[in-house]
Amino acid sequence: MIITDLLGARVFGPDFVGFVTDARFRLYTSSTGRPARLYGIVVSPHARSSSLGYERSDVRSPWPIAALVRSRHRGSFLVRWEDIERVDVRRVNLRPGFTRVSSQLP
Amino acid sequence: MTNAPTDHGSRWLDAQLHLLDRQVLDAAGVPVAVVDDLELSDVLTGEDLPVGTPPPVITALLSGPVLGTRIFGGRPPQSRLHRTPWALVSEVGVVISLAIRGETTDLTWTERWVRDHIIGRLPGGRHDPERKKRGDSATSKRGDS
Repeated sequence: MIITDLLGARVFGPDFVGFVTDARFRLYTSSTGRPARLYGIVVSPHARSSSLGYERSDVRSPWPIAALVRSRHRGSFLVRWEDIERVDVRRVNLRPGFTRVSSQLP
Repeated sequence: MTNAPTDHGSRWLDAQLHLLDRQVLDAAGVPVAVVDDLELSDVLTGEDLPVGTPPPVITALLSGPVLGTRIFGGRPPQSRLHRTPWALVSEVGVVISLAIRGETTDLTWTERWVRDHIIGRLPGGRHDPERKKRGDSATSKRGDS
């Protein structure tokens, strides 16, 4: 599987909840080259495009772009891998009662 | 909505934000590729994932001709994508650094082919540029001043 198969996929849980705009990986050690495990997917309810990270950090500049991107990606959330029930072609199904986690980067 | 995880012992990488389209440098700092895609370990597709299924890991960085497929959709053939195993990545920052020299990978085969078959056949194409003689250098310095 390649990551672009996942990015832009429609997410259902069971109703349509958004699009996959990013995938978050976790390195358990600071040294890279170690396995980077998929932690979850970032889901945007309104837009399929990249959010450029604006909704995941405190960046506010340049303000017109920040305002536009934040508006398009309002309500974005992270879904952990454990809450993913099925990965299909351009479609992801979430488990019943999945948890919406803040998409802010730690 | 639940708060974001706060495990500061881990490093977090968002694919779009930190990996895709990043420049890849080899161990000597020479640009060798751009990350066009990421290869993940096998994921069961088209079937329900059993509870407790381990998450996939990044197995390789992929580079190749993706401009057309990004504009018109689809994906390039697997044979056109060059794999750089994730285990060779030494650092992820503004750029992605590899622990090996680019000449040992397939990433730079086109440059090597052009060097060996075209540049190398031109007169003077098989040795370094000749250094200026010391006297010439001194003369030019005096001339500059």
